[in-house]
Amino acid sequence: MTDTPVFRRRRQWLTDSRRTHLFAYALVVPVLLLIIGLVAYPFGFAIWVSFTDRVIGSVGNFVGLANFEYLSRSATFGAAVSNTIFLVVVTGVLKLGIGLGLALLVNQQLPGRGLFRSFLMLPWAMPAFVAFLTWRVLYQPVGGGLNLVLTQTGIYPHVIDWLGQRPTAMPSVILASVWRGFPFWFISILAALQSIPKELYEAARVDGANAWQRFWMVTAPGIRQVVLVTALLSSIWTANAFEHVWLLTQGGPSDATMVFPVLAYFGMQTQRIGEAAAVSVSMMPVLLVLLIAVTAVMQRDDER
Amino acid sequence: MTVMSSDGPVRSKGGSVMSERQRMILGRLLSYLTLGIAVLLILFPVYWMVITSLKLPREIYRVPSLWPKAFTLDNYYTLLFDKNFLHPIFNSLIVATTVTVISVIFSAFAAYSMVRFRYRFKGVIGRLILFAYLTPGSLLFIPLSILMAQLGLSNSLQGLILVDLAFSVPLATWLLQGYFRGVPRELEEQGLIDGLSRMGALFRIVLPLSAPGIAAVSIFVFTGAWNELLFALVLVTSESQRTAPLALNYLITSDVLPWGPLMAGAVVSSLPLMILYFVAQRFMVQGLTAGSVKG
Repeated sequence: MTDTPVFRRRRQWLTDSRRTHLFAYALVVPVLLLIIGLVAYPFGFAIWVSFTDRVIGSVGNFVGLANFEYLSRSATFGAAVSNTIFLVVVTGVLKLGIGLGLALLVNQQLPGRGLFRSFLMLPWAMPAFVAFLTWRVLYQPVGGGLNLVLTQTGIYPHVIDWLGQRPTAMPSVILASVWRGFPFWFISILAALQSIPKELYEAARVDGANAWQRFWMVTAPGIRQVVLVTALLSSIWTANAFEHVWLLTQGGPSDATMVFPVLAYFGMQTQRIGEAAAVSVSMMPVLLVLLIAVTAVMQRDDER
Repeated sequence: MTVMSSDGPVRSKGGSVMSERQRMILGRLLSYLTLGIAVLLILFPVYWMVITSLKLPREIYRVPSLWPKAFTLDNYYTLLFDKNFLHPIFNSLIVATTVTVISVIFSAFAAYSMVRFRYRFKGVIGRLILFAYLTPGSLLFIPLSILMAQLGLSNSLQGLILVDLAFSVPLATWLLQGYFRGVPRELEEQGLIDGLSRMGALFRIVLPLSAPGIAAVSIFVFTGAWNELLFALVLVTSESQRTAPLALNYLITSDVLPWGPLMAGAVVSSLPLMILYFVAQRFMVQGLTAGSVKG
């Protein structure tokens, strides 16, 4: 036997379309492996660990729902749940209001609007850790700019320890988060506004619609999709953000600003990994709903 | 001039309807006023960061002032020499650069494959990429830190680089898909007819035409890795492996009232990124709206 038939068969097997397919798979495989190894596997592993009593140095045993039961009785966990929801909802509403308002203003034919746009994007260009460290200094009773402005202008004569007392801690975290987070909404909504055809406004005007009616009939439908995606993405990121609370208050005073990621990190520090994993896993159901919603919306966009 | 300008007939004091021109001027004035206040509120924290970094301790703590009487570079000196801040900055540069190069190369290949070819499981892979992009680090930091310990990579920059790829690769792949979709297929087919291989078409046609997109994605990935704090906090234990955000984080917890040097560190670690963003702003906005980037 010569090896000609084998050679011929191989050549038939490696047709052009197969070759293209192999090439396509070869290009995508490294990323696929990275995602499986660094996201999918850890994701599943976190769920497994949350059902064990793992601590540093010991793999631990399967304990069923014991970690979750323990958490459900913990006051700190309760605080983290309600604070996270509160933070997501309030910052979301504020960022939408401010982002939309400013986008509408900049969308006008104002001289100098490019300059305003640049300035309004500044907090987004700043690294998050820099932004929140700066706000931490701003809020200080000693050396903080906020108290200084309030006392020197006579708006409020007394120095306030913004981050150190329960009533002001959460609003302070919210203010800093909104400051850092609204540009993302602003720029997304502005882009959507600019893609609305001018003729629609003209047509509405000819039909006798006033400004309010034009907003609801032309502007609102034009930006609805972008607002929806931004709201979903922003909810996921805010609920899972660590820096804002960590760098401002570390969850204090007495859990007034405690949120999921900070609580999970504290769990890690106390070396009770099973419980720490249970903290982050217990936000998975809500997260999954948001993920599926946003995936559906974004892929719909994408295939359009 | 869509919504804010004319709110129906506005009546002036005499009861007569204001002229179109008067209303337009009033609308503009109000717009400028609102925008001006917004810009002031945005700039004040930035101003406070810069000014605090230039103040003497006396003017930070004892006689606080909005505008310091004396300017000093002492805080920068303390930060760079006593606290040796250049070392964490250098670590951050290594991590962020490596993460950017690795993720942009691999993601460009994957994104090109996803956009140009049809094959089985493509839909599943696409969904997996988007899912991975949206999966937050707060969910992954515990298992990843265990994984890095098992691989013997805890407390090393290599471990940090590997862990950062968990968010940067899906992000870059997702964004690059958007950019590659904008490259006309015909140009590539013409290249193939002219004798380019598939790989050649990718390198000679698709990548050059998506250069602005690749620049934007690189900046996003670099920024993400530069800013990363949570992973660094759980992985890195020794001072020599600290990144810039980590070093500043430990500055608050170790010193008493280190506001001067802290703000100097904030300025030093944000300056390069802010300059980058202002130079590349146009690409950034396109990128942001093309694929939605973590804010």
